[in-house]
Amino acid sequence: MDAPDALVLPDYREQAPAVADRFAKLHQRPVILDVHDLDKRFVTADGETVVALERVSFQAHRREFLCVIGPSGCGKSTLARLIAGLEPCSGGTVLLDGKPVDGPGSDRGMVFQAYTLFPWLTVLKNVMFGLEVSQGMSPSTAEQEARQWLELVGLTKFAASYPHELSGGMKQRVAIARALANRPRILLMDEPFGALDAQTRAQMQSYLLQIWRQVDITIVFITHDLDEAVYLADRVLVLDAHPGRVRELMEIAVPRPRHPHQFLTPTFVAARRHLEELIHPPVEVTTDRLPIRRMTVVDDDVE
Amino acid sequence: MRSSPSPSAFGFRPLAGLAPPQARALWALSFVLPLALWCVVSYVPFVWHPMLRISDPGDVAWLAPGELAARADVERENEAVRARGGQPAVGTRANPVFLPAPHEVARALVTSFTTPPFRADEPWLHQSLWHSITVIFWGFLLSSLVGVPLGILCGALPGMARLTEPFIEFFRYLPAPAFGALAVAVLGIEDAPKIAIIFVGTFFQLVLVIANTTRRIDPALLEAAQTLGARPRHLLLRVVVPGVVTELYTDMRVLLGWAWTYLIVAELIGVSSGITFFINQQAKYRAYDRVFASIIVIGLCGLGTDLALGWLGHQLFPWLKTARRGWFSQALALTRRVSGGARGGRGGGSDSDSDSGNSDGAPEAAAKANQARVA
Repeated sequence: MDAPDALVLPDYREQAPAVADRFAKLHQRPVILDVHDLDKRFVTADGETVVALERVSFQAHRREFLCVIGPSGCGKSTLARLIAGLEPCSGGTVLLDGKPVDGPGSDRGMVFQAYTLFPWLTVLKNVMFGLEVSQGMSPSTAEQEARQWLELVGLTKFAASYPHELSGGMKQRVAIARALANRPRILLMDEPFGALDAQTRAQMQSYLLQIWRQVDITIVFITHDLDEAVYLADRVLVLDAHPGRVRELMEIAVPRPRHPHQFLTPTFVAARRHLEELIHPPVEVTTDRLPIRRMTVVDDDVE
Repeated sequence: MRSSPSPSAFGFRPLAGLAPPQARALWALSFVLPLALWCVVSYVPFVWHPMLRISDPGDVAWLAPGELAARADVERENEAVRARGGQPAVGTRANPVFLPAPHEVARALVTSFTTPPFRADEPWLHQSLWHSITVIFWGFLLSSLVGVPLGILCGALPGMARLTEPFIEFFRYLPAPAFGALAVAVLGIEDAPKIAIIFVGTFFQLVLVIANTTRRIDPALLEAAQTLGARPRHLLLRVVVPGVVTELYTDMRVLLGWAWTYLIVAELIGVSSGITFFINQQAKYRAYDRVFASIIVIGLCGLGTDLALGWLGHQLFPWLKTARRGWFSQALALTRRVSGGARGGRGGGSDSDSDSGNSDGAPEAAAKANQARVA
């Protein structure tokens, strides 16, 4: 099956002792998010019922970095929206710290792919927003608090700027600060770097890992980028499409702290390749000849 | 960032950019062209000039010097006079009295403000104008005070929209002038019924336009606010209202234009007053130069108000993407810089697509007016 010159990779389940140790500790930490038998069905305009998610169950432990990945249409964004409480579920439960989720709340922060900073507020006021409306802080207290969060994401200098004056990466850093300022239990991130160019995205991933190390936060990170998932996650939840079901909850054996140079290590490639096979099962590439006649002159060959 | 297409010479290519100097030139040209047309019709002989200003009536009995007569009539009469061996009438070609030349209107524009009215008990132009402005002010203020909050509520709360919009939809088809007699019966003959007509004319449109604008708020902003712990009250006051306020401001500028339209009707109700009365009086005296002058003054008032409001908008909403910032927001930014973090530079970037870049040029206002009319 493998091409003759393919790399020989270790089993993706093989964990170095340090990594195995880390996972043992992780599993002992309390469960923050408990998703149990979650169903979501939509009724389309034609009256057809579409099953977006079916019996999705998984748990996330305190300070875990969990990535959710799957082919398009597997309902991964829906999953994030259900956990956030932005949409009602059709069945099953979402428990946060053992309490059922009912509607959106400040205990579940969210960063969206589309930039959702309030354009009429300065960067500082954006970060203060949640502190004022959900914690009822006075503006002066909220400002102090917000400045600390801006410092954490390295945007102190831009406190007085408006969102349209920032680059896309900066906007998402502010969005992260804004969500974290509320001290949520978990941070939901719905393809937050999807709209960024490759270089900015790599930078943002590194920022995010730094922030995650410093803050008591559990992250549920939705992505369709396999490299991103392997690079960031402790565990990766793989979903199937139509209907969206849990395919596998996979532990990533790449040691921490992560660094971009790990992208080419055998462990990383093995993990990435396993994900690839789960999401895009190997299929025979069809080699039917297309019914095209030569439309160039005879000697002008490219291959 | 999508690189904006290189500016074509004067922007006459779909979606082409327009450099500021050319934009200014076109702005000026949009006034110069109609004016030039008027000048051509007024000053260049043989373009129209269907009349003859008689300088010497000759032997034509019914003509007097200085009289304005149709050229065709004079020609016919002259034929007859020549046949009898008499002296034909002569004169210079002229336009009808209802189309004064630009310089006459310009003179009238000045004299309307400097010379007393024909009759002592009649108001001056500026008095008439001021009277009209107060009527518009109160009518539009009352209509906005009720209509804007109601419109925002309708836009934000589906239940509220269902409860009020069907009736408003019905009522807005009733022509405001039809309520003239009723308004006079209830409110007397002075300014109150006029204010009421402007209210009726603008209120119902205003509620619907504001509600539609409010519904266009980006739902992602509402969701983001909810995940930050915002309650419904916060969503309305801290997200919906600031989120649509710039659009509402543009709507109000368009609707203010409608108020001027209703003014002309309103001022004919009860005791005729204001600029409408002034114009009608001048027409009675056949002082068409003054009629034109008054109409131009109305236009200048409207244009001036709109430019002033546009400028004010830039000061009020500093988060709008604007090429240049007003002195007021620059001062604000300065105080911010002094009091806190320095303002950062612009993020260069691959993605400046998210903000609803909201300019408030005339084309957008016009488009909006069209849309409102269609809706």
